[in-house]
Amino acid sequence: MSDNGERLERYAELAVRVGANVQPGQEVFLHGLVEHFELVRALTRQSYEADASYVNVQYGDQHIRRAMIEFGPDEALTHTPEWVKATAESTAGNAQLGTSGNPEPELLADLDGERVGRAIPLEAVDIYRGLHRKNSINWCGVGAVSDGWAQQVFGEPDVERLWELVAFCMRLDEPDPVAAWREHLDRLDARAAALTGLRPDAIRYRGPGTDLTVGLLATARWGSARFRTGSGIEYVANMPTEEIFTTPDPSRAEGTLRSTMPLSLGGQLIRGLELAFEDGRIVHVDAETGADVVRGHHANIENSDRLGELALVTKDSRVGQTGTLFYNTLFDENATCHIAYGFGVPNAFEGEPDERMNVSKTHVDFMIGGPELEVDAVLADGTEVPLIRDEEWQLAA
Amino acid sequence: MDDERLERYAELVVRVGANVQPGQEVFLFPAVEHRDLARALARQAYRAGASYVHVLYNDGHVRRAMIELGSDDALTYAPEWLKTFTASMAGNAMIGTTGNPEPELLADLDGERVGRAVPQELVQIRIKQITENSVNWCGVGAPSEGWARQVFGEPDVERLWELVAFCMRLDEPDPPAAWQEHMTRLADRATQLNDLRADALRYRGPGTDLTVGLLPNAFWMAGAGDTSSGIRYVANMPTEEVFTSPDARRAEGTVRSTLPLLLSGQIVRGLELTFEQGRAVRVEAETGAELVRSHFATLENADRLGELALVTKESRVGQSGTLFYDTLFDENATCHIAYGAGLPFLVDGDPDDGLNLANTHVDFMVGGPELEVDAVRADGTAVPLIRNEEWQVA
Repeated sequence: MSDNGERLERYAELAVRVGANVQPGQEVFLHGLVEHFELVRALTRQSYEADASYVNVQYGDQHIRRAMIEFGPDEALTHTPEWVKATAESTAGNAQLGTSGNPEPELLADLDGERVGRAIPLEAVDIYRGLHRKNSINWCGVGAVSDGWAQQVFGEPDVERLWELVAFCMRLDEPDPVAAWREHLDRLDARAAALTGLRPDAIRYRGPGTDLTVGLLATARWGSARFRTGSGIEYVANMPTEEIFTTPDPSRAEGTLRSTMPLSLGGQLIRGLELAFEDGRIVHVDAETGADVVRGHHANIENSDRLGELALVTKDSRVGQTGTLFYNTLFDENATCHIAYGFGVPNAFEGEPDERMNVSKTHVDFMIGGPELEVDAVLADGTEVPLIRDEEWQLAA
Repeated sequence: MDDERLERYAELVVRVGANVQPGQEVFLFPAVEHRDLARALARQAYRAGASYVHVLYNDGHVRRAMIELGSDDALTYAPEWLKTFTASMAGNAMIGTTGNPEPELLADLDGERVGRAVPQELVQIRIKQITENSVNWCGVGAPSEGWARQVFGEPDVERLWELVAFCMRLDEPDPPAAWQEHMTRLADRATQLNDLRADALRYRGPGTDLTVGLLPNAFWMAGAGDTSSGIRYVANMPTEEVFTSPDARRAEGTVRSTLPLLLSGQIVRGLELTFEQGRAVRVEAETGAELVRSHFATLENADRLGELALVTKESRVGQSGTLFYDTLFDENATCHIAYGAGLPFLVDGDPDDGLNLANTHVDFMVGGPELEVDAVRADGTAVPLIRNEEWQVA
């Protein structure tokens, strides 16, 4: 096997063993774009090597989605086929792997943004949301390198260069990547524990174009992406992951914020997104490009105009260290601090989520961090405790 | 790839082949290597008014991983979602693609596990749909580098595309009209043959003198059929044949194949079969004889005939002069015969003992310039059907 073939297998093995942590006898539900077939095949092999009882592979194809949005009837946009529901239901108690890295990020750019925003299989989203609330799936999302993704990142299809960056972000350069991942996650969990211990009432962000205060739920804690299913299987939902996150109070957000990195959303690029909040709701949306997609979300998807996640990332992030804009949320949200509108993250709670957590059918992360962003924890008595300055963590862990 | 040709190809398959009806759902089963065609088929299906297009890509390497590394139970497992997917096709349209991008991918695996890797529950669902004729469907070729390499010895995809486009009549100014005309011509031949009420067919040519009995309740058919709800569809594109299932108890004489045949990863050339009382009693071949003998030895009734198909020199596949190593194409190049299972939908009423039942169906080509085919009536008179690869019945 070539060095690249061996790297691919080691990458897949890390995603299967550390990420989803596939257990012997579990089925694996594997979702990737059709252009990701090399990684999908390696993940399949590694899942069977880990004694999966069966690997269910479902390839997605953005061109099929484009055909539906461009030529299909209105009902098709939100339709969830029975077999997709059956897939979602069968995933309970099993492992799930997903690949990301859009080979044609601008494929939908010329379509009606409102239709693009509306094209969500609502029933499938409901079922998966229920499964995540019950924490019944050990899952992991990883990046899949492709010509098109490399083209987007570098302006040329330098797949090998992208692979090297992805391998760096995944700690595949470490002599023992599994041990390196354990140490890394321990460090993030220590940060999260220190912040949860502060019992902040709100988080305040200040920077160019940003002055936003978001209320927190006293019931929610901060954590890393290392989770445990209801039946006790530990898994890492995103690889790479560099964040600690919580889910905020969707009724308390005041002020404005400006995104600091472009975001690829529904096949369109959103640049320079500016949101204004009142009483937790987004009341104003502007952007250099792609504002219609975001407005389409807020107009059509209930509660997508409220916040679901706050995540803190500092400059020791390997993604941030690459100095690369990946045009891929899985990577870019780990480069720097981000916020998501839409549904909240049930993993922020011990046991059942707080009823106040935002409920919606979408979840969109956008990046707000950078050298000039200051993040403070606001305690119940109004005192502010610095969390991040100059992209460095300020709180003793 | 020429985008416009691809779209016209997909449009033909959607409109004439599967004949997708407004409001129908469409189910596509492409290999991951067939994605260009799959995307065009999805576009054309929506343009034809499909309410939803389901695309389930299959991947030979995922299958290989299951056979090589998976448990015994995995081999025959049919996941619930896949049963739901398959069952949802009833009343809807389906399009399949052929043209194996890696014909030898499974060659080094344990043949017994490869053979066992069939999700039986899914097969049962499909057999029910075929019996009830509830799906308007079409199978078409999808050129890929691997298939082109098999055909030409080099991955000349464009050359393969040109041949496929020719076989599909895409060079005609109005391909759907050309297909209607073509299907009418074949249907007329089937009618002529049915009206003849022949008792047998006789084949004569170099190495061939074979008489095969026909069943009085089996009819001749050409490419188009109707679903039980009346949707006309063309199950194979290209198609150039009129065909029937013979009386499996009556075949006498010898037959020699005229084109090589790709079978289970081996090439069978110069196959010679000798029949007595319907059974193949002797098998010779330049290459691959053992494979055919093993079929006859291990599969019940594989040594009896299941199909007779007549193809003449108007066949575009034949005119291409190309061996495609794909049955969808090669069986339409020239006259062929199949050993193994007969085709139940060709029989009026219940199939009697005369229709062959077997777990295989292997088409091999017997046609060529020197083959003479006659219909033999009950009174012994012979009516010429094919001479010089031309149709003889007025």
